Amino acid sequence: MSKRPFLIPFLVPAILVAVIFLAALAEILQYSFREFIPGSLDVGGFTLDNFARIYRPVYFKAVVNTFVLSLATAFFTLILSYPIAFALVRTKVEWVRTLLILLSITPLFTGEIVRTYAWMLVLGTNGFLNTMLLDIGIISEPVTFMYTRAGVVIALVQFAMPVMIIILATAISHINTDYEKAAANLGARPWTVITRVVIPLTMPGIISGFIVIFAWTMSAFATPQLIGGGKVLMISNAIYLQGFSALNFPFAATLSVIALISAFASLALMKLIANRLERQTAIH
Amino acid sequence: MKRIWGVLGAMVLALASTAASAQEKLVVSIWGGNWKEGAGIIAKEFTKRTGMEVEFITGGTLDRLAKAKVAKDSPESDVVFTTSQVGFLYQADGLFEKLDKAKIANYAGLVSAADRGDYEVGVYSYVYSPVYRADLMPKDFKLTSWNDLWSPEVAGKLSLPDFDPSHIIIASAVLSGGTAANWEVGIPLLEKLKPGVKAFYQSDATSQDLLKTGETPVQVMLSINAYHLIQNGVPVTIAIPKEGAVVGIDVLGINAGTKKLDKAQEFINVALDPEIQRQLCNFHKCSPMHKDAKIDAELAKLPGIFTTPEQWSTQAIITPDEIRAKLLPTWKAWFTENMMQ
Repeated sequence: MSKRPFLIPFLVPAILVAVIFLAALAEILQYSFREFIPGSLDVGGFTLDNFARIYRPVYFKAVVNTFVLSLATAFFTLILSYPIAFALVRTKVEWVRTLLILLSITPLFTGEIVRTYAWMLVLGTNGFLNTMLLDIGIISEPVTFMYTRAGVVIALVQFAMPVMIIILATAISHINTDYEKAAANLGARPWTVITRVVIPLTMPGIISGFIVIFAWTMSAFATPQLIGGGKVLMISNAIYLQGFSALNFPFAATLSVIALISAFASLALMKLIANRLERQTAIH
Repeated sequence: MKRIWGVLGAMVLALASTAASAQEKLVVSIWGGNWKEGAGIIAKEFTKRTGMEVEFITGGTLDRLAKAKVAKDSPESDVVFTTSQVGFLYQADGLFEKLDKAKIANYAGLVSAADRGDYEVGVYSYVYSPVYRADLMPKDFKLTSWNDLWSPEVAGKLSLPDFDPSHIIIASAVLSGGTAANWEVGIPLLEKLKPGVKAFYQSDATSQDLLKTGETPVQVMLSINAYHLIQNGVPVTIAIPKEGAVVGIDVLGINAGTKKLDKAQEFINVALDPEIQRQLCNFHKCSPMHKDAKIDAELAKLPGIFTTPEQWSTQAIITPDEIRAKLLPTWKAWFTENMMQ
């Protein structure tokens, strides 16, 4: 007896969601080719003008910003998360593990807005970071962290770290520690063990974590909106400004289509690089 | 099996009772926070007079408009609180009922600024004006003209709203001898202002935060928000420039297709009642629209509170809603493309 009839009901919710999602995408696509009528919520006839407008510096810069900030966020998140994930998996002291879990994973349960507001208090001209640096004499004038790309990346990295730690910790926990012991027995120093054995073995986790955080950051909205203060525009902020501020839904739809294409293209490129990297670092 | 039917029966009854209670309430669409709290003054009196409860549904100005557009013939609310220029968009898209002014007894006593056409009526006004933290500015710093925003003392300390740049655009046009309609005359001034802008804010909350933390000690700000900060102990000074402050008017309109038309008109009538106007303006620190509203003497002295025809003519820059609604997308696009990057 075929198993197919049994499985079909389980597919229904997924199909339903996919159909609704595709219908929404189709609606966005058709809006992107429609003319905007100022002073009205209705849209006009077919036009390609919205796509021509993308080349204006501000929107082009938003697309580039999105790519660069996503890349930077994924990179720094990886660098900062790896040692924590490693310590989390390898520590034998229970309270250290509990503390690391508390410090690294708990932020996941606070909302993006709450965390971003906290960062505004930390990064502000009179915020915690500037006050501390001034007090210990490292700087003589407050440094501008807010409304800069660096400020946005700092907040995004902290936002992304719990997810990266979970992914990396899973990858590290699957490594057989005998490989590390064998390398050490053959004279490899700890740093060599990590760079030549542990990191290559966790490459699939590193790659998936990097791609997940990159894709996640591509759609970041609240953090660049609040920390960027309109000076650092990512594509989602540009879409919001057009759709919900200027009420230019056709152009907002065009930007959404561009965002989607950019995301898919970036991920495809990244996957290509990742596959090559994975092949190169594989241990035979 | 019996248990399942019992549970289903209870669910149906619960849903039915929810639907019934929604039927008995007047649903008012409004912003959240202290805006909703202020509208509670109207709701309380309305319920007292009619026996009907008021339910508020909240959201931002433009997402509520977008939702109303989607709902169109089956509106989620009966009455909408919004800004006058966005009210124009509601009526342009057929989302507002024509007001039966004869049924709104208090309409007769309104100041002329309250008359926003046949589909919406002004409830109170406020200004968008330069405000600053005197404690974070040079000792003798004063703002007496919009021109002062271009001064070296303000450079790098200013924040502006990104969701509605109309105020600075209108002010620049006025400074350049124009009006909102020929706003392009102010472009050279705006371009000169660009390097001095430190941040753009996206909401009332971020606007207040920027001043409260001192991140941007000068801001073009909604007077109601400035008074809210002052009430909370933040030393903010509100300046009314000699060219006037840009007036904003919050309006009430009735959703097209409402099944509670009479009650909706009564809600508007209550909102325009002189005593309710007094309470509303004491609460928000705004200007009343009814001539007979006797606001507190202390409130009447505050900058941006207009109670006399002379104040309206000398301190207020009023732009027709149609011009503002039709030009806002152009302003917004220009502002994003030329000022924000």
